[in-house]
Amino acid sequence: MKFPGTNCDEDVRHVLVDVFGLEAEIVWYKEFAVKQWDAVILPGGFSYGDWLRAGAIAARTHAVEELAEARYLGIPLLGICNGFQILVEVGLLPGALLYNDSGRFVCRWIRTVVERPRGPWLALARDGQELDMPIAHAEGRYYIDEESYNSLLLNAPVLRYLNGFNPNGSVHDIAGVGTEDGVVFGLMPHPERASEELLAPKMFSPGGRVIFESISYSLKRGW
Amino acid sequence: MPLSPEEINEIRRVLGREPTVEELAMFEAQWSEHCSYKSSRILLRLLPAESRYVVVGPGRDAPAVKLFKDFVVVFKIESHNHPSAVDPYDGAATGIGGIVRDILTLGAKPVALLDMLYMGEPVDPHANWLIRGIVKGISDYGNRIGVPTVAGDTWFDASFNTQPLVNVACVGVAPLNNIVLGSPRPGDLIVIMGNATGKDGLLGSSFASKPLAEDTDKEIGAVQVGDPLTEKLLIDSLQILVSKGLVKYIKDLGGGGLTTAISETCADHGLGAVIELDKMHTRQKLVPLELLVSESQERMLIVVEPSRLREVEEVLTSYDMPYSVIGYFTEDGLIRIFYKGAKVAEVPAKELARPRAVRRASHPPAEALKGLKPVYSLPQEPSYIESLVKLLSSPNIASKRWVYEQYDHEVGVRSVIKPGLGDAAVLRLLDGSLRGFAVKGDANPRYTSIDPFHGAANSVAECFRNLVAVGSKPIAIVDELNAGNPEKPDHFWYFEMMLKGVAWMAEELGLPVVGGKVSFYNEDYRGRQVKPTTTIVGVGRVQDVSKAMTMDLKEEGSAIAVVGVTYPELGGTEYLYRLFGLEEGEIPRPRPSSELRNAMFILKAVGMNMLNAVHDVGVGGLAVALAEMAILGNMGIEVSVDRIYARGVQRIDEILFSETQARYVVEVKSARVEEFKKLARRLGVHISIIGNVLDKPVFTISKGSKYILSADLSLLRDSYNSLERVIEGGV
Repeated sequence: MKFPGTNCDEDVRHVLVDVFGLEAEIVWYKEFAVKQWDAVILPGGFSYGDWLRAGAIAARTHAVEELAEARYLGIPLLGICNGFQILVEVGLLPGALLYNDSGRFVCRWIRTVVERPRGPWLALARDGQELDMPIAHAEGRYYIDEESYNSLLLNAPVLRYLNGFNPNGSVHDIAGVGTEDGVVFGLMPHPERASEELLAPKMFSPGGRVIFESISYSLKRGW
Repeated sequence: MPLSPEEINEIRRVLGREPTVEELAMFEAQWSEHCSYKSSRILLRLLPAESRYVVVGPGRDAPAVKLFKDFVVVFKIESHNHPSAVDPYDGAATGIGGIVRDILTLGAKPVALLDMLYMGEPVDPHANWLIRGIVKGISDYGNRIGVPTVAGDTWFDASFNTQPLVNVACVGVAPLNNIVLGSPRPGDLIVIMGNATGKDGLLGSSFASKPLAEDTDKEIGAVQVGDPLTEKLLIDSLQILVSKGLVKYIKDLGGGGLTTAISETCADHGLGAVIELDKMHTRQKLVPLELLVSESQERMLIVVEPSRLREVEEVLTSYDMPYSVIGYFTEDGLIRIFYKGAKVAEVPAKELARPRAVRRASHPPAEALKGLKPVYSLPQEPSYIESLVKLLSSPNIASKRWVYEQYDHEVGVRSVIKPGLGDAAVLRLLDGSLRGFAVKGDANPRYTSIDPFHGAANSVAECFRNLVAVGSKPIAIVDELNAGNPEKPDHFWYFEMMLKGVAWMAEELGLPVVGGKVSFYNEDYRGRQVKPTTTIVGVGRVQDVSKAMTMDLKEEGSAIAVVGVTYPELGGTEYLYRLFGLEEGEIPRPRPSSELRNAMFILKAVGMNMLNAVHDVGVGGLAVALAEMAILGNMGIEVSVDRIYARGVQRIDEILFSETQARYVVEVKSARVEEFKKLARRLGVHISIIGNVLDKPVFTISKGSKYILSADLSLLRDSYNSLERVIEGGV
């Protein structure tokens, strides 16, 4: 789904179609109807220029009703970077994304680790598997209060920055979170930029692949 | 610059009557230095602009060069020096906006941004504020429009403390058959799309065509404010309009606003136009004069055939893109401007678009002699390790990670060689093949201020070497000449010499200069010019991006070799400045024939898969190049200074820190060393195998049986990564 200011839409389509052989289309938010789709990705970018705060305005468009519908129907939803910010703003995922500790936008490769992989987006990931991906954000410091963390995330799939790789000061080193069933998942790193060997710098491997392999596998098995 | 009395007389002669206030404003905007190139046009003809790859040469908003037989690159450079001095954040941001729109005018897809920043010393509070504002402005704007910032150049010098140079470039790609090369015809409609016009940037190009005043804060109205979301929507909706073949011609509303867009389009095609100003969509109430010269950002002019207007309107409406149909082209060559039915201006397009060129007086100042002074009788050599550490922590050499990590350099999934690892950025076309291009921007303000002719030639050569070092074949360059006040002969001389230096070296290296920009009046309020600077951006062809080279050392036991001859050329070097505080002497001599021969050798060796790493030797000389390769690869080295092929040297620092041109350091695979030597002999290239790559973190240089420099890699890395501390702790 593309909002005004979304800028990773073509990258995600490239990876889905050219790298993993799935059928995918970029749908303008005004024309978006969830029932036509088996899975939905909200790509990164700066929807509405990050006015107010990242994701806030997109989360108040009509398209969001379609996302709630997707959740109700059990259609897999993935939010990447700004897409994650939107899912959090809408309330489909818990927590909040605040300005980075450094106060600056930061773009670099980092390492993460998956915990409790579950659901269509992480079906093929192993518990404890390390995933390398780049991040690129200014508002990526995940925050959640302890009580909600204990009740909502201790049993949910979570992606954490490996020790020494937390780029923004997020609580519990969180890089991404899902619903308990893993059908809705959101993450700050960009898996679509880490799906081809060619783009991974020396010392890193393309850790985003497992997410697209998982959704491909899940959909083919009739998720 | 307000119009001179002679220019006003000229306008009276052109019109045959007294001009109206609107007409005067139009002439002031269009005849500004920024828009008309009146002081530089005669000399600019010296630049070689042809090659068999050039599809669109200088003259349009952006040139196009054949990268492959079916693919073009469209690239251009721009400066936003004056706005960035007053309002660094918005000034730098709108520079990005403008250069991206230039690329859009040929219907190409913008895929890479570069920023070449020549700024003040981080420890100076005002300069520090400018540095942060400029980088954040580029970051916030560039990141939001989804075009990665992949490369650039950065230099810190007290000369730029109040007047920085902000040069930005954009690269677009397009299949050859898709670029928009149509011409407007009489009757075609003139549509303005994008932001509503407001009062920002009134006569901004006129502001940029005079020195900064002491009370520059009063000029804030001449600085535009950017809106990256609208720019992103312009990119997206133009992509659709172009792919559907709905537009015949596209022009940016940049410097000079509507006046420049209309007058240049008309003059280039022998047309006139009828414009109804009250049809323009505006943010606030504006009088006709303001509508004519406002430089509100994110606006473009598109030319549409009347029969296609409905389809165009459908696309723009679906993207919530504001637009207005403001007029049409005519045959008679006259631009007629109406406001609510009344004619406010009637001007011949050709005379408006092209004021008479001025041949400015040019004379070298006495201080130009410092570039002729040989460097000898230097004090005793400081310890080599102290020198190397000082150089690595010089902001001009240290890692620019603090800068480039604030830019999204990955969006678009094309960036194969990312900032910090290669001498140039390498991007793939993403057309299903492994084809791609390399791009890099370079300047050395110290060289050009000491010796503008040779310094500018060295900028061209440096860019050429950087493109070669990643394994690409350079195909074309664009230039930005940042100079002082053209009305002062001793400032204009620097401009003239820099331009001649670029022209000479570009010709020698067979690189067409397909476009560029001139920025004058870069002086402080006391009338001192900042260091005159020649910025070159070049593009190279890459057949297979997976074979592109980075500079980090990779394999224990492989050989380290220097390609090229080292001469005692310490004049104008970073070493001379950092260690002795001197900015003088004969700068390293441009060596075009060695450049060509050594480049061909590097490209052959890369093509034959002999090398693991390539790095051009630039600022800081051989020792710095070696240290960078070791730090980035996290591998040690042991090399011997006796084996470096050098001519005429008397001191070891002349070998280690000379910035002699046409040299590279390469890592040769251990099994291929003999082949490498044979290839060098066959091509007549001087190479020296100087040592090996080690698997332990030590950096050693020996002479005879003695170490003259031995350091732990972590010490060098710490110096190399010091820029963030310097900037963040600078105030």
